[in-house]
Amino acid sequence: MTAEEIFACLEEKFGAKRETLDKWGVTAVVSAAYLHNAVEFLKDGADAKFDMLVDIAGIDYLTYPNHEGPRFAVSYSFKTVAAPCVRVRLKVLVGEDSLKVPTISDLYANANWYEREVYDQFGIVFEGHPDLRRLLNHVEFVGHPLRKDYPAQKRQWLSTNDYLLPTLEKRLEELGYKVVQRSKEVEPNDNEFLEGSVKA
Amino acid sequence: MGNEAEKPNIITTSLDFLVNWGRTNSLWPFPYGTACCAIEFMSTEVGRYDLSRIGSEYVRFTPRQSDVLLVAGTITYKQAPILKRIYEQMAEPRWVIAMGACACSGGFYDCYCTVPGIDHIIPVDVYIGGCPSRPEAFFDAMFDLQKKIKDESFMKQRAEQVKDQLEMIKAKTAEAKAQAQEFAHEKVAELKDFVVEKEQNLVKKAQFWKE
Repeated sequence: MTAEEIFACLEEKFGAKRETLDKWGVTAVVSAAYLHNAVEFLKDGADAKFDMLVDIAGIDYLTYPNHEGPRFAVSYSFKTVAAPCVRVRLKVLVGEDSLKVPTISDLYANANWYEREVYDQFGIVFEGHPDLRRLLNHVEFVGHPLRKDYPAQKRQWLSTNDYLLPTLEKRLEELGYKVVQRSKEVEPNDNEFLEGSVKA
Repeated sequence: MGNEAEKPNIITTSLDFLVNWGRTNSLWPFPYGTACCAIEFMSTEVGRYDLSRIGSEYVRFTPRQSDVLLVAGTITYKQAPILKRIYEQMAEPRWVIAMGACACSGGFYDCYCTVPGIDHIIPVDVYIGGCPSRPEAFFDAMFDLQKKIKDESFMKQRAEQVKDQLEMIKAKTAEAKAQAQEFAHEKVAELKDFVVEKEQNLVKKAQFWKE
């Protein structure tokens, strides 16, 4: 099954539109409401099963020449191992007022961190995401740096580092280790550290 | 003690020489490698260039046992408090080498996430240029650091430390004295009030009984 046929299926089922900017590949613009179903169809329904999510990218069209429509977009790239040359991209347009996209982290495990990255850099909220926190920037960061209206040289200091010991201990306990004794220096002091990238 | 140490004599100079000789020839680095400069450091450390020729053979992966903090690579704002904490964990005497363009000045990462030079966080003794630096450049920096250490005076530093400590102790004692005095004054005032009240009560009682 070629990419064109898959696009025809997407057009028929989910009302996808062809992205004119993509002259060489196949990019289907779907609405946010149909996104989860479309991804499910690409993963399980089609003959060529797209078992690989290559990337999720956020796009900010603020300074893009001759652009009309919503300011943001989220682009999903899919690949299949069965037919290496077949690639399909999905694109969801996101308006500045809503900033909401349904998550696909229940379908692809690696979408979890991709969506966290897009949330971190663009501020697009993925609804239903199990753990939506900043991935690359620190907790005290204000704003979303890959937006075009963020000044690129604006620097923000972090005061303390993350408190990683509880998660480490949890991981070790899962492996069968046991905390017998802690030295005084690593004794947990909740006031001293931020929760940061570790889920409380 | 301060005056004696400031004037060099045969004992202090020979002690300085001995201490500095020991320090220069056993600089144990702590490699804080975050990028490609760390790879260059590895090649400096092993067979071909062999950093152990100048006595730095032990790469210690704990800040408590190392003398030189070698920052090799890009430091982001998320990484900055960790670097500072590691520097604070190192025991005195400690030195810092900033290796490569990123550690010196942020390099070409002129953006929201990269610290423009680690000297915004910790004091640096020697800077090495290059992207990444050559092992020869790293050796040059180590020789510079050795020269710098040879110029240091152990006795002088010691005397300064003792002076600082004395001043601190004096200040603390003065503070404690002032506090104790205040406390005593308060107590005295309280006691006075108490006595005055008692007296008044007694007078009232006496008057009552008289009546």
